[in-house]
Amino acid sequence: MAKSYDAIIVGGGHNGLVCAAYLAKAGRSVLVLERRHVLGGAAVTEEIYPGFKYSVCSYVVSLLRPEIIRDLQLPRFGLEIIPLKCSFSPLPDGDALCRWDDPELTRREVARFSPRDAERLPEFSKSLLKMSQFVKPLLSLTPPDPCSKNPNDLLELLKVGRRARDLGPEALTRLVKLMTMSSADFLDEWFESDVLKAPMSVSGIIGTFLGVRSPGTAYVMLHHYMGEIDGAFRSWGFARGGTGQISNAIADSARHFGAEIRLEAPVSEVKVHRGKSTGVVLEGGEEIDAKVVISALDPHRTFFKLVGPQHLDPDFTAKMKRYRMRGSSGKVNLALDGVPEFVSRPGVGPHLEGDIAIAPSVNYLERAYDEAKYGNFSSKPYMNIVIPSLVDPSVAPPGKHVMSIFVQYAPYHLKEGASAWPEKREAFGNAVIDTLAEYVPKIRDQILHQQVLSPWDIEQEMGLTEGNIFHGELGLEQLFFLRPVPDWAKYRTPIRNFWMCASGTHPGGGIMGAPGANAAGELLKTGAI
Amino acid sequence: MPEPTPFHPRTSALCRSLFWKEWAGYHAVRSFDTVIDPEYFAFRHAAGLIDVSPLFKYDVSGKDAADFLSYVMVRDIRKLQVGRVAYSCWCDDDGKAIDDGTITRLGDDLYRVTSAEPSFRWFDQQAEGFDVVISDRSRDIAALSLQGPRSREILKGAVGSGVEGLRFFRVMEGKIGKTPVHITRTGYTGDLGYEIWVEPKGALAVWDAIMEAGKIHGIRAAGLDAMDITRIEAGFILLGVDYKSSPHCDIEEQKSSAYEIGLGRLVNLDRPSFIGQRALREEKERGSEWAMVGLDISWEELEALYDAYGLPPHLPAQAWRENIPLYKEGRQIGRATSGTWSPTLKQNLALATVEAEFGALGTHLEIEVTVEWERRVVPATVVQTPFFNPQRKRS
Amino acid sequence: MSAEIIVIGAGHNGLTAAGLLAKAGKRVLVLEQAEVAGGVGAGAEFHPGYRGTGLLHDTTAVRKAVIEELSLHSHGLSLRGSEPPVFSPALEGKGVLVSSGREELPDDHGLSDWDVEYTAAFREFLGRVGAALSPVLNAPPPDVFATGVGDLLSMLKTGLSLRKLGRTDLLEFLRMGPMCIADVLNEWFESPILKAQMAAPAVRGSFTGPWSPGTALFLLLQTASKEHAGVQGGPAGLTAALLSAAKANGAEVRTGSRVQQILVSRGRATGVSLTTGETFGAETILSTCDPKQTILKFISKLDIPLAFRNDIRNVRMRGTTAKMWLALNGPLEFSSRPGRTFERIRIGEELDDLERSFDGAKYGALPQVPHLDIWVPSVSDPTLAPSGHHVASLLVHFVPYHLEGGWNDGARTKLEENVLSTLGRYVPDLKKKIVAKETLTPVDLEARYGLTEGHVDQGEPALDQLLFMRPCQSCSHYATPVERLYLGGSGSHPGGGMTCAPGRFAARAILGKK
Repeated sequence: MAKSYDAIIVGGGHNGLVCAAYLAKAGRSVLVLERRHVLGGAAVTEEIYPGFKYSVCSYVVSLLRPEIIRDLQLPRFGLEIIPLKCSFSPLPDGDALCRWDDPELTRREVARFSPRDAERLPEFSKSLLKMSQFVKPLLSLTPPDPCSKNPNDLLELLKVGRRARDLGPEALTRLVKLMTMSSADFLDEWFESDVLKAPMSVSGIIGTFLGVRSPGTAYVMLHHYMGEIDGAFRSWGFARGGTGQISNAIADSARHFGAEIRLEAPVSEVKVHRGKSTGVVLEGGEEIDAKVVISALDPHRTFFKLVGPQHLDPDFTAKMKRYRMRGSSGKVNLALDGVPEFVSRPGVGPHLEGDIAIAPSVNYLERAYDEAKYGNFSSKPYMNIVIPSLVDPSVAPPGKHVMSIFVQYAPYHLKEGASAWPEKREAFGNAVIDTLAEYVPKIRDQILHQQVLSPWDIEQEMGLTEGNIFHGELGLEQLFFLRPVPDWAKYRTPIRNFWMCASGTHPGGGIMGAPGANAAGELLKTGAI
Repeated sequence: MPEPTPFHPRTSALCRSLFWKEWAGYHAVRSFDTVIDPEYFAFRHAAGLIDVSPLFKYDVSGKDAADFLSYVMVRDIRKLQVGRVAYSCWCDDDGKAIDDGTITRLGDDLYRVTSAEPSFRWFDQQAEGFDVVISDRSRDIAALSLQGPRSREILKGAVGSGVEGLRFFRVMEGKIGKTPVHITRTGYTGDLGYEIWVEPKGALAVWDAIMEAGKIHGIRAAGLDAMDITRIEAGFILLGVDYKSSPHCDIEEQKSSAYEIGLGRLVNLDRPSFIGQRALREEKERGSEWAMVGLDISWEELEALYDAYGLPPHLPAQAWRENIPLYKEGRQIGRATSGTWSPTLKQNLALATVEAEFGALGTHLEIEVTVEWERRVVPATVVQTPFFNPQRKRS
Repeated sequence: MSAEIIVIGAGHNGLTAAGLLAKAGKRVLVLEQAEVAGGVGAGAEFHPGYRGTGLLHDTTAVRKAVIEELSLHSHGLSLRGSEPPVFSPALEGKGVLVSSGREELPDDHGLSDWDVEYTAAFREFLGRVGAALSPVLNAPPPDVFATGVGDLLSMLKTGLSLRKLGRTDLLEFLRMGPMCIADVLNEWFESPILKAQMAAPAVRGSFTGPWSPGTALFLLLQTASKEHAGVQGGPAGLTAALLSAAKANGAEVRTGSRVQQILVSRGRATGVSLTTGETFGAETILSTCDPKQTILKFISKLDIPLAFRNDIRNVRMRGTTAKMWLALNGPLEFSSRPGRTFERIRIGEELDDLERSFDGAKYGALPQVPHLDIWVPSVSDPTLAPSGHHVASLLVHFVPYHLEGGWNDGARTKLEENVLSTLGRYVPDLKKKIVAKETLTPVDLEARYGLTEGHVDQGEPALDQLLFMRPCQSCSHYATPVERLYLGGSGSHPGGGMTCAPGRFAARAILGKK
């Protein structure tokens, strides 16, 4: 008879692995099943072109919860994060804005565009830091249900309410503004320079199907102030060896604690018997039993592929169908013959050792969004570029480089339909390279290999429904006690012993690890295993 | 990454200690030699020359310049005549101090304000509705401070006539060599002294001329550490050390009003509205919560304390700026914010913020002292500042 | 001269407040800059023989409490028996004709079976949510920082009234509130033109399009704010009654009196001065002008706390509404429904039409095909125009106040052309019917009504400009940081539109009532 486990986790993405590691650490027997030949899901590094290691999807890390790094002893298993040096925004007029890790340098640089803004920056950081201190504890909280009659829920809610009130009128007002305003409007209250506001505003739109002028986008800026590396705020970093190293470190930690991980083990369905899950069936027909099955896939894939509507109440299915996960971004990975030369700041330098934002103005970004609203990819997209090989030589041959370009907007639903992506992929890639060439005229001559991923490709390869990198849009209506759907925001599902632990649950997407850790915590608390 | 100031070629050539610090984005010399005494004594006995270019400088010009400055400053600047300099602080709407600095009236409608931290945005934001133009001149003007009993003689040698008539808190235009300069009879040492304001292109020539003229008077390039001792002796507060600028405070408790940083004497309440007026008026009526005081830390008791450990008394060679708890009968009632051994007065001095009821002259307090990793206290007495106030300061 | 209370602005809120304060025995002086009272609700002849009914259309949210407390029925106010249905013409097909939530769908609605079914279900849901939300609209905003038992109780009451919705509705409400109206309508309906018609009120006055998150809440709030089928004669009918009531209660209303400054002494408002130089002292001043005009223009910066001034400066009120009056020699006849006369019409065939218009507004461009909200008041009140003739009131949406290149006669003409050609696509003989027209750009609205940036709601409806944050936290309870100065226009809770609620709450705040 085949071995039975306490828990089977479907999907070896970072949240699945985090969940597995925590459960294993608590002494439970855990099996992780990954469909692909590599672990990590969207947090994966692959040698697509010989000698060049692409962090295929996710490319920088900031939100990985420090307590997870500590609890799972990730540095011991190879996690090293190299902080980004700066944020470089080249401008079409040949100038550029560089925001450095050194506040004084940043002040001088911003002062070239607006001395007022330069002086306002520290105050802005202070204010956002205060907000993020408020929001941070909410990340590791199982969201209380405001409609519940359970006193514990109400108590939790009251606590949140009281903390909000304790912020005082000024900060609370700011918090409400931050939660509801568009990033463009919010920044307008603070700054005057478009050159500064544009790259600051984009954090609000990354991965969403919203524009910088859409209400609700300001909130995501907070995440930048929650990004912690070594307790330093606002730090984003590269994982040495590529983003996949994060997943590998978590996997090694999980194994260390006793979890089993199987690659190339695609799950075809979750076995459900009388509203209760009992295990999984692999595509080869193999059946494995477990006390609980935890899905680390996105909610749509979880319920429409793994489970199937026959096991679900139609009301739940209807709600789940409404869960929106329109993918809006694509990715272009380049293998380069040398260091790209930006017109605005020629030569190699520290300005390239961070992220490079093609976000010259707020209207530029908004126009990119306007195109996407009507089902076109942006002809002049917002791009977030990193060249990790400049600080981490292990990812490219000596003297050569990898460039990772995050591109927005690339709507999954083209007006011709998502299936038109294979025909449009080349044009999309060209739009990206053409835009880049405005800032790096010689880029075409340096490209040795290019990988273009539309949201459709991301869906095909990584299994992210509609190519949504966050397992579902980060709108207020799909956050907190509403993520993924009302009534089922506590990692549980309508099927008993079947759980969720990935970005489609609170607190959402990004390489944060919190959903995985929270789910494990909640599961252990119930005593189900 | 700090930048060099316009005097960098000269200061870096002289800085044998390689002892630098960052000051408002510039490289600044802490001390030219590893021992700072010669620089300190130059300030007090001959003359020290220090590069103060990192100060922020703003020109306020236009028809309403005086009205505007009177609106942002706690002091009524309308009374300031051309050719004079005033010292003031400016506050937020709640009367909490933002910064302090000098205002020099260079012309009918032209004033120059210095500040320790960037203040352009604050001034500019308040300028709405006033017919003024505010321009940031920080990078356009380099500055030297020549301080000490021989500074007048030295400057006479470098500038020629006019300097001896320049009275305390006055400004004049002049030339050093061919370089036009503004000279103010001001400083941060509490001694006879001048500050020389010059465009960067003439900076080195001015440095050379002053050093040349000073040779026979014992001039010496001085660094921030020596000046820090003199400014505490003079009872001058330092932003970021003795108080925190209100916009940079994380919580209300960190803010200090104009009264609480000991600048109440500057506040003119009875005049048209100015920023912070309402709050300062209320505070004046109600009484302040905190007081900024000078402390004389008992040397005898300190010596006795060390003696109990079998040690000679030990004091740092420079001024210190850690916050140190102050007690009254075992309860913490404030903190010392900076202090120094005064080589001139032979006293152990500190500037401190205490609960207002303990601010009266002569009040006996206790200050924490750590000896051999053990926390102890020694008595300290609230005394008048400036601790050191030579007649020549105002001459 | 002096009064106990000066009310600045004789618009619907100003007159409401004046009436209620006078009724409570206060000596009230109302100062109005225009030559006639009424503000945006003033009716005026825009062409000889053709009278308008005020700037806005909807009067269904006029608070019943105001009507009762001021006995407006005895001052000539009468309520309509039913709301006319809204017609949305289509270039192809017959368009849709949809009644408001209270009335049955007309027989010739033109909707699919699916939409008919879901219209009913959606309306029921809106009705339930509206009922739960109405306590929020019928009370001053909750005082989040209050420590008093009363305040906490009233907050609790609001919370409980929402919880009364039941779990399913409440969750649905919480989910829907932050959504964009387009996503909500796409979940419920299939007809593009129906969706466009329903989305329009959700984006009216705000700097948002149907794809902007948070717009769904405004549809909910609008539904919740409906109290009846509207006032006969529209806004003009309402303000005439309010004026009569205010006067009858003893308030003095001075028109042609433009305020120059609110006088403040040591943090306390003491009176106002007019542009003529005349000054009036008063114990209390209530401004129903918009917050920016009141705080930033009427009061010297020396007299108010900086933080308050900054908060007011940050109030977003980018006007996006223009107005057009048409004098017509006959009824508007639509090619999709020949021979029919409609009182209310909305032009816009799909959500993306609205969104595209908004796109232009973002960059300061004139909408090529503007979204039109049309009311033909002469259908129910033939006295507004010569016999057989009509007046049509057009609210033109997504016309930016901040127009690229600025507003001038050329831009106004271009706007007129775009409006008429848009309407002309549905009303083929439009040109021949127009006797006269008057066009008011957002800049004209600012000049005529004193609305900063031409914003008809005195502040965008947005999630951060609601409740205890409208217009900003420190003056959301009508009192301001300037002692004895109150705000009580649409810039205050519960916001814009012809509700008279802000005026009423402000008057109650002055009188010390909750």
